[in-house]
Amino acid sequence: MRRLKSYGVMLGACVSLLACAVNLTPEGLMKTFTAIQDANKDLTPENEYYVGRSVATNLLARHDYRYRDTEAIARGDLIGITEYVGTVGALLAASATETERKGDRPSPIAGWHFTVVEHDSINAFAAPGGYVFVTTAAVKAAKSEDELAAILAHEVAHVVRGHALGSIKKSRWAGVAKEAVNNSVTLDEAALGELTQVFDGAMNDMMDAIFVKGYSRDTEFEADSVGAAIMAYAGYDTRAFASYLETLRAKQGNTKGGMFATHPSAADRIKLLGKTDAARADGHALAARSARFATARASLN
Amino acid sequence: MTIRMRNWFQKKLLIGVLALAMATTTALVLAAPRPGESVTVRVLQAKVMKKPTFIGASTGTVSRGHVLRFSEAKGGWYHVTAPFDGWIHSTAVTEGQVKLSTLAGSGGPVASRQEVELAGRGFTPEVEDKYRQQNPQLDFHHVDAIEKLAVDPEKLASFARAGKLDAATEDK
Repeated sequence: MRRLKSYGVMLGACVSLLACAVNLTPEGLMKTFTAIQDANKDLTPENEYYVGRSVATNLLARHDYRYRDTEAIARGDLIGITEYVGTVGALLAASATETERKGDRPSPIAGWHFTVVEHDSINAFAAPGGYVFVTTAAVKAAKSEDELAAILAHEVAHVVRGHALGSIKKSRWAGVAKEAVNNSVTLDEAALGELTQVFDGAMNDMMDAIFVKGYSRDTEFEADSVGAAIMAYAGYDTRAFASYLETLRAKQGNTKGGMFATHPSAADRIKLLGKTDAARADGHALAARSARFATARASLN
Repeated sequence: MTIRMRNWFQKKLLIGVLALAMATTTALVLAAPRPGESVTVRVLQAKVMKKPTFIGASTGTVSRGHVLRFSEAKGGWYHVTAPFDGWIHSTAVTEGQVKLSTLAGSGGPVASRQEVELAGRGFTPEVEDKYRQQNPQLDFHHVDAIEKLAVDPEKLASFARAGKLDAATEDK
């Protein structure tokens, strides 16, 4: 009888769980959603979008808003090097979604966007929400489309793994009134001010990670490893990852700025990449991509 | 604790864990949308593709908030028949509700209150506006323009084929 009673309790618990899962009203969904958010501090794709727009704007501001095909982009035209880099990037973004890993953030609300910024230091960076930037110097340093794909795949990996969002200090939320977070519909001026302060602090945290201090070594290695998987699925030769890093190693010398300040040494990255399975493309395939890459790169001269 | 008590406790714990696992699995199965049910587009715009792949021909474009009834699910893709017959990826839609239709860069009216509510954690259009007021040196026109650009999936297919990126073609 006692056993029957305990089964009954468990059955009741199961039924309650099922009821919670199946009979959620929109209000119930919202409450559950907020509760989950409150518990794990995750940001929604909507939050990521707004954060990403501001990070992207800050990154562009650091480059005096100088990027390729500016006028065409303002007109809504995708041309030149922006179209080429954007197309390679779009293939990689599609691959990232097709190869979605647990915990990925694969489909930004406003899609993926790849922009070539004017700068003579080799670098690439990504803002949450799918905004990827690569410098003209980084494209020029690449010897093939596959190497360019390696640069972009690394950045796509940062976005899908939520690395920038993860760099926001948890303490940012400490001073925020609960009602400002849980009851955003009725934001008053004070609550809005508090949240804007958190937003501003979050910007600083992310800009630090993306542009100034860099991510942790493990984070960068994860971006390399996930990036290699993404480019392999797209059909690119992952050996290009190491060959681009070799180029960086040669250029690095005593240079401390740009990406050298924010990434582990090329030698360490090559060493760890060596432990992943390489996807190889045959010479015929590599040749098919070499002419269009040469044309695109020449457009930067 | 006697051995008998410990055995009894372990047995109960095992039964409890199994029951919870079964309930969770059942709940997930029941909660996942099934053919005939609806999903809502959560991204600003999504292509309905002729085949279940991101590259190649599309049959039309759907926007955020659009409700779609799907007839078949296959490898992360939903087959829909209206307003366009084709496939949409599961990450572009949600089983929940999306009542809002505009976002900052889309050039439409200010986002709805539901959007603010949905954002929950606090990074909302209102917060972005306030941040922009406090940082007038930042020019958001650039990101507004950049986010309007998209690569046509048919061009993407041609690009992949020309570059012998077979792994990324429709037949993968």
